[in-house]
Amino acid sequence: MGVVHGQEMVLNIGPQHPATHGVLRLQVKTDGEVVSEITPYLGYLHRCFEKHCENVTYEQVIPYTDRCDYLASMTNNFGYVVAVEALMDIKVNDRVEHIRVIMAELQRIASHLLGLGAFGLDVGAFTPFLHMLRDRERILDLFEMTCGARLLYNYMWVGGLSHDLPVGFVESTYNFLDYFEPKIDEFVNLLVHNKIFVERTADIGRMPQEVAVSYGVTGPNLRASGVKWDLRKNDPYSIYKSFEFDVPVGEGGKGSVGDCWDRFYVRVLEMKESIKILRQALASLPKEGDIHQSIPKKIRPPKGTIYKRTESPRGDLGYYIESDGTNIPYRLKMRSPAFTALSVIDEIAAGWLLSDVLAILGSLDIVLGEIDR
Amino acid sequence: MNEDQDKLIAELVEKGLAGDMEPINEIEDRVLRSKAKAALVKAKRSAKPQETEDHVKKVSDKSSIDDKSLSENLNENIGEMVNEKFPGSLVNENTETHIQLAPDHWFEIAGWLKSEPSLSFDSLQCQTGIDIGENTLEARYNLHSMKHNHCTEIRISVSINKPVIPSVEQIWRIADWFERETYDMLGIEFSDHRDLRRILLPDDWEGWPLRKDYQVQETYHGIEVPKMKEGWE
Repeated sequence: MGVVHGQEMVLNIGPQHPATHGVLRLQVKTDGEVVSEITPYLGYLHRCFEKHCENVTYEQVIPYTDRCDYLASMTNNFGYVVAVEALMDIKVNDRVEHIRVIMAELQRIASHLLGLGAFGLDVGAFTPFLHMLRDRERILDLFEMTCGARLLYNYMWVGGLSHDLPVGFVESTYNFLDYFEPKIDEFVNLLVHNKIFVERTADIGRMPQEVAVSYGVTGPNLRASGVKWDLRKNDPYSIYKSFEFDVPVGEGGKGSVGDCWDRFYVRVLEMKESIKILRQALASLPKEGDIHQSIPKKIRPPKGTIYKRTESPRGDLGYYIESDGTNIPYRLKMRSPAFTALSVIDEIAAGWLLSDVLAILGSLDIVLGEIDR
Repeated sequence: MNEDQDKLIAELVEKGLAGDMEPINEIEDRVLRSKAKAALVKAKRSAKPQETEDHVKKVSDKSSIDDKSLSENLNENIGEMVNEKFPGSLVNENTETHIQLAPDHWFEIAGWLKSEPSLSFDSLQCQTGIDIGENTLEARYNLHSMKHNHCTEIRISVSINKPVIPSVEQIWRIADWFERETYDMLGIEFSDHRDLRRILLPDDWEGWPLRKDYQVQETYHGIEVPKMKEGWE
């Protein structure tokens, strides 16, 4: 921590603190109310994900990926199976691709709902959190209907899915979308234009573009800084090419580009885009197609290396897999978007008030399970 | 006789390629006719790849979004440029999938990769380490350019007895944490890193968990460390 001068004080936030969204310790050096330096200490949730992967077969890795980003397990599964399929050169049929996209986008909405609600909670708005959890519950019900699990699904398998869609899923999803679309405007009125919320977030914790790129910040946090970068558009995987949607970027609606308010609002807009994708995917969902068609009997990828990125709700989720030709990965590395997003905290939060640090941390929408792995 | 036949076939093939199939169909000798047709197919096939190559080039000129042929050329180009600028740094001439570098000038090369306008690798996507056996550790860097939308992979291998690689955290700031994690897991030391500490494990943990010869320490502060299970029961 270095030398502490006369008026300075060292303060620990966490590891057990509701605003850290998990178990994270921020060692903050303060001068009065102003924060001069932040040192994050990680690893409280380290569960040896990568070491475990070197000891289990490729199929058995999937449940572990669930538990990394436990708020967006579907997209974690998605990224992993896309990587292994690219390594093995497996093509899955259209129905599987459509179901995967539907699940990933539902998961994106669910994850953003919790992220936005918790952000509101961080800056003192309690009610929106309950509203958002109420609607997230309906998405979890859809997942439960599909595969029996509410949070940790193990749903996407290499070459297919664990279950086909149940009877009535498509209608239920349409019902949910019809219900949810007007609700977004309700959130907008509750939080986005709320004067107290705007005062707490606008112009706070600006992240300039160069800083964001240099720190490897991706996803909504990067887009809020004005960079139009979305892997679903820029490096399309699965069938995202065939859908029409926009990539919202931060425009500094209430303050300047890349502030906390922008990071919040980009996520709200992204939910709208996800609804667009969902409606298209549901409309074009093929009726025929065996979801187990391309599942290989044995998963033994050929010798080789792959680095594959997908767009998770938090940004570029990358899997680096080295295969030695056996049924166990030789080395598996997960490049988690929350890890890179947290690393920027010292750069953008130093110089702000202590209460702003928590707002900035909330706006980055980190999940500690994914950071510590 | 044979030479005459060959000449005739060559003429017919030329006509056929131009789109005029009638002379071939008019031949009465069946053997000669089939020979001419086979020669025509061969000629067409050998002509095709050139066309598709031209096509691919045109496509890659238009949009550079993850075109495979472009990225392969890219690796070769980078390899050549590195060889010119930093002679001796390129360890393996084969740059098909990745670029293998020596650790010595890595910091300078990294700075150049970022600042060179035709490459401008402004983003370090992923950095990881791997124990590839035979007492060798390897650091791997997945670079990406937001501007040109192209990717490449750099590999640097070092001996397990002296695993030192220059740090690039001052070039890409995210390398700060990535390198700390690689140090934490594999014990690769990054020289000139300003804050090289363990990141996920406790500071006083012993050993480097992702090395293949790793032994779990028996106790940690008097607490027994659970052993990893061999296989599955």
